[in-house]
Amino acid sequence: MWQYLLDRRELIAFQAYQHVSLVVQCVVLATVLAVGLAVLSYRSARVTSLANSVSAIGLTIPSFALLGLLLAPFGFGITPAVVAVVFYAALPVLRNALVGLSGVDQSLVESARGIGMSRLTTLRRVELPLAWPVILAGVRVSTQMVMGIAAVAAYVLGPGLGSLIFSGLSRLGGANALNATLVGTIAIVLLALVLDVVLVLVGRLTTSRGIRV
Amino acid sequence: MTAAVDLAVTAPETVEPGGRRDGVAWRGLLVQPALIVVVAVAFVVWRSTATLTDAEARPLGWSALGGSILDHLQLVAVAAVVVLAVGIPLGVLLTRGPFRRASPLVLGVANTGQAAPAIGLFVLLATWLGFGFGSAVVALVLYSVLPVLRNTMVGLQGVDARLVEAGRGMGMSALAVLLRVELPLAVPVVLSGVRTALVLLVGTATLATFIDGGGLGLLITTGINLNLDTLLYSGALLVALLALAVDWVGRVVETLARPKGL
Amino acid sequence: MSETLTHAGDPAHDRTVSGVAIRLEGVTKRYPGQSEPAVDAVDLEIAAGETVMFVGPSGCGKTTLLKMLNRLIEPSGGKIFLGDEDVTGQDPDQLRRRIGYVIQAGGLFPHMTVGTNIGLVPGMLKWDRKRIAERIDELLDLVGLDPEVYRDRFPKELSGGQQQRVGVARALAADPPVLLMDEPFGAVDPITRQRLQDELLRIQEELGKTIVFVTHDFDEAVKLGDRIVVFDVGARVVQYDTPEAILAEPAEDYVADFVGAGATLKQLTLTRVGDTGLHTPVTAAAGEDSAAVVTRATAAGEQYVVVTDGRGRPISWPSVAELTRTTTVPATRDERLPVVGLRSTLNDALDTMLAASQGGVVVTGRRDAVAGVLVVEQVMAAIQSTRGETRG
Repeated sequence: MWQYLLDRRELIAFQAYQHVSLVVQCVVLATVLAVGLAVLSYRSARVTSLANSVSAIGLTIPSFALLGLLLAPFGFGITPAVVAVVFYAALPVLRNALVGLSGVDQSLVESARGIGMSRLTTLRRVELPLAWPVILAGVRVSTQMVMGIAAVAAYVLGPGLGSLIFSGLSRLGGANALNATLVGTIAIVLLALVLDVVLVLVGRLTTSRGIRV
Repeated sequence: MTAAVDLAVTAPETVEPGGRRDGVAWRGLLVQPALIVVVAVAFVVWRSTATLTDAEARPLGWSALGGSILDHLQLVAVAAVVVLAVGIPLGVLLTRGPFRRASPLVLGVANTGQAAPAIGLFVLLATWLGFGFGSAVVALVLYSVLPVLRNTMVGLQGVDARLVEAGRGMGMSALAVLLRVELPLAVPVVLSGVRTALVLLVGTATLATFIDGGGLGLLITTGINLNLDTLLYSGALLVALLALAVDWVGRVVETLARPKGL
Repeated sequence: MSETLTHAGDPAHDRTVSGVAIRLEGVTKRYPGQSEPAVDAVDLEIAAGETVMFVGPSGCGKTTLLKMLNRLIEPSGGKIFLGDEDVTGQDPDQLRRRIGYVIQAGGLFPHMTVGTNIGLVPGMLKWDRKRIAERIDELLDLVGLDPEVYRDRFPKELSGGQQQRVGVARALAADPPVLLMDEPFGAVDPITRQRLQDELLRIQEELGKTIVFVTHDFDEAVKLGDRIVVFDVGARVVQYDTPEAILAEPAEDYVADFVGAGATLKQLTLTRVGDTGLHTPVTAAAGEDSAAVVTRATAAGEQYVVVTDGRGRPISWPSVAELTRTTTVPATRDERLPVVGLRSTLNDALDTMLAASQGGVVVTGRRDAVAGVLVVEQVMAAIQSTRGETRG
């Protein structure tokens, strides 16, 4: 296996890079979308409840099924992979953003308005910073989850480490089949751990010291 | 690989460890089956009226379709039984006496295990145990035992230590406290873990087809390989419906089994 | 402290005793890795039917000592006797079924109804169902909760004070001779705490259990205890005596510090409401004809009337003038009605008057029935007299 790693270090590094790049870009996009949606809906209990249901139901849909459904409109390639990964990444962030925003103490919002902040300024200076730790917790969940989903996305010719696993599968019994699968799987777990640590650090740096636990 | 995660436990900040307040919960519980029934009826109508080519008609014949669904459910059921039989007792054990020290480690592994790609697990097990139903079940169990284990532990750890002491203090044996106080109070969290695991199982079982484990995944892979969109759609749709149905049953059970008084 | 502390003579109460004596001989608790024992060879004798209060700074080992009595903490050495029986080697579960245990907020199981909570120990002792049901109602009645209303409620539907009452009822369920209480009233507001203390005194008057009660509140110890044990680190017994004696003669400077300044006013906490000359008010049952009540009150020269419910418990305290404006005596319950028990201290009575902004309190006795009224002038007179005593 060591030999296998050495022989193909460039390919593996490239695929790892692609995998992480897919996940990171999708999670960033998903976070922006989900927080945006949450900001639009958190003030109405009805819309919040709807968004929560959508999030809960969306998470039950198997990723392989969704990838299949996306193949017809988008064809093989990177688009269905990106759409699916963004979809799943957005759901936990959406739910946590709703919880975080509606969990902000109303008296703080009132006092912000009371000292003359506009709605938008209140959101930007008070509500979002206070909800941020909760949102970030959602981002961490999302990241862990879509690291695995991105592996399945390789089946529809998306980029990343999943293709190592599938190439192992297609050559099962043959030389290096086990190595390919093992390397793909372990690399994904390791990268997920690294990303989680990075997110914890991001959390330390972006959370106000006053509310850090 | 599937998308279901137990947010309530993974992100402690999220509220509702097992559901919402009664009124809202029941309204939510009615929307979901309605959605499932409507889509299922639409599928049956489409299947009865659409003209299909030979290659499509064979796997989509009623008996073949029923067989695929049954295969899928069988994978889920067998794996679920093993998961419950292993996950809950192990979770209980890991919160008792000397094993308690291992619990942070196990919880850590359970949390990171989520990032492990299920497809990798399937393939690795197939290389070790060979292709087929057995390997698929083992992979499914390994993958979905984590939420049950984790929630059993978290649920039991969440029981107020003073209540345990009150129970011991009035002369209940350790077993009686476990059965009459700790487990009943942990039920909402444990059940939400069980539901998460079941939904995971339904979704992950689609990947069993890659190692000849059968199930609805076969429709999807066949559809993709032969470029037959109808097969692909049918498979994806049925798996999604099945996952939603299982999730709904889980929610109903959770609502019914929640101890009153909480 | 190795000398056994005993006390000759009963603390001047002729009352039913259903408790048994507790004797500790050299009881010790060492935790591995700690050089000093948490509890160091304590010898202590507690007479049957007495309430003994454990006080001392936090970390002094008083709670550890209490928990060794029912072996929630296993002693590292020494012997514990209930009556003449050495229980040190007994099966802890069996032992605990004979010892009631009350903790903060009651420790009620939230997923069981009030009735189920109370019936747990009798159930474990294999009582038959009918007897358990009767016992539950009897106990709810004893702690002043209507069984019909509260039996099937869940703990979360009860106020903090009510939960604590149920906690006491549960501990008494199998009629254990000994009751252990671990800071039970620590989490409730002062007014509720005072009512719960009164309730406990009343129950103890009826039952005469042996009660061991841990508290960090010296006033509570003075009010509830027949005797007080003052502990220092390692559960060293610094003083073991009646509240009066400890207040009058602290054994060491340490005790004097702990008792605190203002010992003159502390004497106020030693005088029970029941020991003062209570005034007997004119009472009226809700629903009675107002005119008749007004006549009765005028004849007695009273300006206020205590209105009671069907069981003789006070519900309001209107003036005669207010009653003349009604045809029948109203059954409305005045939530702010100032009430104290016979065994409350004058301190409690004064607090209650101040909290309700009233010049007097209604005093209740057995089963919360009206026993009299106490007015602020009587309290002031008592203060005057104690000040006179300490000066002289």
